[in-house]
Amino acid sequence: MTTPTVASTPALLTVKNLSFRYKQQVALREVNFEIDSGEIFGLLGPNGAGKTTTISCVAGLLGQYGGELAFRGSSFRPFESSGDRQHLGVVPQDLALYEDLTARENLEFFGGLVGLRAGDLGQAIQSALILAGLVERADDRVKTYSGGMKRRLNLAIGQLHRPDLLLLDEPTAGVDPQSRNHLFEALERLRQEGRTIVYTTHYMEEAQRLCDRIAIMDRGRVIAVGTASQLADQAGIPGADLERVFLELTGRSLRDG
Amino acid sequence: MSSLLATSIQVAKKDLRLYFRDRTGVILGFLLPIGLVGVFGFVNKMAFGSEGGLSRSTLWYVDEDESEKSQQFLASLRTANTLRLRPRSDDPAETRETLEDKLHDGEAHHCLIIPAGFGASLAGGKLPPLQMLRDPGRDLEGQMISIGLLQGLFAAAGTDSSHLLTARALQLAGLPEAWNDRIQQVSRGFQTSVELLFQEAEEADRRPPSQNQGAEPPEQSTSSGPDFLSIMNGLVPVDYTDFAPPERPKMLSYFLAQSVSGIGVMMLMFGLIACASMLIKEREDGTLPRLMVSPAPRDAYLWGKFLFALIIGAAQLVVLFAFGNLVFDVDVLRDPITLGVVSLAVLVAVTAFGMLVAAWASTIKQAEGVSTLVILTMSALGGAWYPIQTIDLPPLASLATHSTITYWAMTAYQGLFWHGKPWTDPVMLRSMAVLLGFAVVASIAAVWFYRRRYAGRRPA
Ligand SMILES: Nc1ncnc2c1ncn2[C@@H]1O[C@H](COP(=O)(O)OP(=O)(O)O)[C@@H](O)[C@H]1O
Ligand SMILES: [Mg+2]
Repeated sequence: MTTPTVASTPALLTVKNLSFRYKQQVALREVNFEIDSGEIFGLLGPNGAGKTTTISCVAGLLGQYGGELAFRGSSFRPFESSGDRQHLGVVPQDLALYEDLTARENLEFFGGLVGLRAGDLGQAIQSALILAGLVERADDRVKTYSGGMKRRLNLAIGQLHRPDLLLLDEPTAGVDPQSRNHLFEALERLRQEGRTIVYTTHYMEEAQRLCDRIAIMDRGRVIAVGTASQLADQAGIPGADLERVFLELTGRSLRDG
Repeated sequence: MSSLLATSIQVAKKDLRLYFRDRTGVILGFLLPIGLVGVFGFVNKMAFGSEGGLSRSTLWYVDEDESEKSQQFLASLRTANTLRLRPRSDDPAETRETLEDKLHDGEAHHCLIIPAGFGASLAGGKLPPLQMLRDPGRDLEGQMISIGLLQGLFAAAGTDSSHLLTARALQLAGLPEAWNDRIQQVSRGFQTSVELLFQEAEEADRRPPSQNQGAEPPEQSTSSGPDFLSIMNGLVPVDYTDFAPPERPKMLSYFLAQSVSGIGVMMLMFGLIACASMLIKEREDGTLPRLMVSPAPRDAYLWGKFLFALIIGAAQLVVLFAFGNLVFDVDVLRDPITLGVVSLAVLVAVTAFGMLVAAWASTIKQAEGVSTLVILTMSALGGAWYPIQTIDLPPLASLATHSTITYWAMTAYQGLFWHGKPWTDPVMLRSMAVLLGFAVVASIAAVWFYRRRYAGRRPA
């Protein structure tokens, strides 16, 4: 396991020896990586690699994991501590919206849950609607939206309170190319605002295009971490794309799942 | 703590918004109960308005005469097939005062007092004086009791009493009292003639093999002549004292009051299960994990649902009782404070039960299946469909009855609507305490299941 940075300031999030098992299935085996402030960090791996499980542990959905998490160098226990969860925004893999409420009402409700009130909430909702490109449709019920619009709203809800760390789990699943571009633009904008983002995907083009650094996951392990070109160097095929790097490192194709 | 409350309120507000957005659901949620209360109310009225439905009527007594005649009379009452005589022969005797308490508490509806001098007047060839303390709405039971008294008197006084009774019957039918002697003469003549007829029949060997002299069911006369039933009821001279809350509406019958609150409670359970099931839907829809990852307290979703269900339930009760008031003369607003307190206890208990089902079940189908079964069982056992309190149950069945939410809800509502008790009455306080007990136990269990299943104790 190589850790490229030996920084004097601690990483925003440190994941150390993270292990998790479901009843029958071992999902994570000693996962290690660090995320620096302001970067878009990719978790790339086929279906079943353990990306969602990793996100769930970091998000505080799963509590009984092995290993440790640290946030800016100090112990991070999001499952137990609601104060720790305050640092996080989560965009779940499956859409999590009230279809019978409007976009604005969804934002209002989830904004209330993360502690936004009155004027702050109004402003946050307005900029979220702009980010999602839903200003015009803000007062229509979500069930009348296209898949792409729902995805954008899903993202807008997760970042509503400007969290220090935004966790995105396969946000482009089932999205048409146009909406995908819109989503990428939104993420670029969040990066420019200085947000730190974890982005999981099984599309290597997305990881290549969007992420500053990438952790390649397979069968519950992180196999390599680095920028796209560092990963290619590690695999001994400089300049190769991530698809070939993955094949070289695992002996399998990304699409195998 | 305050953020738990604030989040719960946010959740409840959101749920109310969602609930009222589903127009069909709202209409069903409110109209269905009304429809059912209507149907059950009328069916009960018809079913129990005639004699078919009831087995035995409970008659409490106190024997102040304690003569051989009164013992005989009671022994015969004890075997009468229309009566269930209380206290049992091996139970301690009651007094006038304890019986009045029972009437007041709704534990008894007819109490017979055999005053001193009963035996003496029978021996002296007179119809004995009897006193009855009663709940005047229980006409049906009253008729069964009249029949039982008649049988008992025959047994205690022998055939001689038949002349006395015949005389009284004919007086009630309109003959002057002064003709008493003439009437008795006719009666004795009649008896003689009848005996002659039987002799003749015996000689002709046409007499039926067994004597069948039990009380024949009275034929309802269709002519415009005297009403046989009311004569029967009046045959035994009983001095009635009515024990009813003065404000009870005249039109209200026991069974109607029972139906309105019974079906109300049952529909409330169905409605609240539906509300609670939104918890499961949220998990299936993935919106629940969004709360779990937010900094808001996780239990707030459970309590938010609780609050939401409570509000919807209260609205349903308001509509139902307004309907009962309009259509069935249940005077719901006579004691609004008691109505509010009782309804709150019922709502909290039923809502907690709904939350328990929702937190326990892993799918909506499971929740619906189990809750339908439990609700129907509780409704039947607890007396929401049928006044179970009027049936003499073996101990085990009685225990089952008493362990339902429905039973205590019905007891409290009947205490209010029928007996006109205030919420401070011990019977009411006990019912509400039991309901709150149910609520606490169900809530604790619901929180336990919820935390186990939803709040990440194990992977969702
Ligand atoms: N709720 C669950 N119960 C049991 N096994 C699970 C559950 N969720 C995921 N798994 C298993 O854990 C492993 C990792 O899954 P996941 O983290 O969802 O991978 P990914 O998100 O990369 O597709 C897979 O083998 C998957 O089958
Ligand atoms: Mg996944």
